[in-house]
Amino acid sequence: MRRLLRKAITAAAVLMLPSTAVAQIGLTSNVATVALTATKNATLTVTPNASTATLASITDGSNVNNFTPVSLTTSWNLTAGSSVRLIGWFATPAQALVNGANFIPSSKVEGRVNAAAYAPFTGAALGGVGVAGGSLQLFSQAVAAGSFFGARTDQLDLRLDLTGTTTFAGDYLGTLNLQAIVQ
Amino acid sequence: MRFGRYGIGFLALSAVFAFRARELSAQAQIISLAATAPGTLAVTVTSGAVQTIAGVTDNAVNSFPAPVVIQTDWNVNPGQTNTVDLIAYFSIPAQALVGATTQIPSSRVLGRVLTGTPTTFTAIAQNGIGGVGTAGGSLSLFAVTITGANKNASRTDNLDLQLNLVGFPTLPAGAFTGVLNLRAVTQ
Repeated sequence: MRRLLRKAITAAAVLMLPSTAVAQIGLTSNVATVALTATKNATLTVTPNASTATLASITDGSNVNNFTPVSLTTSWNLTAGSSVRLIGWFATPAQALVNGANFIPSSKVEGRVNAAAYAPFTGAALGGVGVAGGSLQLFSQAVAAGSFFGARTDQLDLRLDLTGTTTFAGDYLGTLNLQAIVQ
Repeated sequence: MRFGRYGIGFLALSAVFAFRARELSAQAQIISLAATAPGTLAVTVTSGAVQTIAGVTDNAVNSFPAPVVIQTDWNVNPGQTNTVDLIAYFSIPAQALVGATTQIPSSRVLGRVLTGTPTTFTAIAQNGIGGVGTAGGSLSLFAVTITGANKNASRTDNLDLQLNLVGFPTLPAGAFTGVLNLRAVTQ
């Protein structure tokens, strides 16, 4: 009787052995990792709604020589900086508008945004943007951590102040450059 | 001659004891031996463990530059293992890549393994498998059936990754970082 009991216990133990090795289901490996980095570069753009501003007829001796207004959208997406500034400038201040050998200097061209006071394009460059004596800061927008990503649209008004000036008949053509800078 | 009288009796008793001693052999005992070699499963990224997109383009699909080369090794009991699965997953699906103010969810990160299961770019937005991975932030990269022929084997796969920003709001400038986990599990 005792032998039978021992044999039964032994047999039961042998039968149980495989169960200790079962359950390889759910065996997990180490965790390997891949480090991902995607960088969005800072951007700063100026987009005019028109590439041409015209003044159909110049009036000598007057500052009522208004070009058609231009809408400017300035967009920025930054990681640093304290201000976004928009600069307008003429490459050759003495020859802002050219009619053959006749010139209108940038000092006679005035600009403003959003109905502020007109000012001539006679300022200095700013942060490497612009030309000495031919530039005008059109706006300075403060930015900070909460506003590093933004945009604004402004109406740019341009005029010729020909007070005390007589021009030769003809077409005066020129190029006003617009560029934004973060400072 | 008392000795002579009892001497034969002692001898006879000794003989009996001798015979009894031989009959008293011990009961045979069985010691069952069991040695288990545990299954092993390992995942190694042999190259591409650091993935960088230098300049992300908004509203476009951005590809990470090089594949992640993954080596998976296993040594398992084919009688107790049906498949070996490799899963890629993000710990927090809603924040797969994290920026200063904006997070990119795992549904925007796509994976493809030409030698595996997602042979086309598929969002890492599936559920986990066998307790590995996260709900909505996982992708099964392969499931290989285990037989006697491949119970102790290894395979290497290339995982291609993309960042799908089509229709995603414009990202603020800056770096977006995250960690993609890779883990194998037996089923």
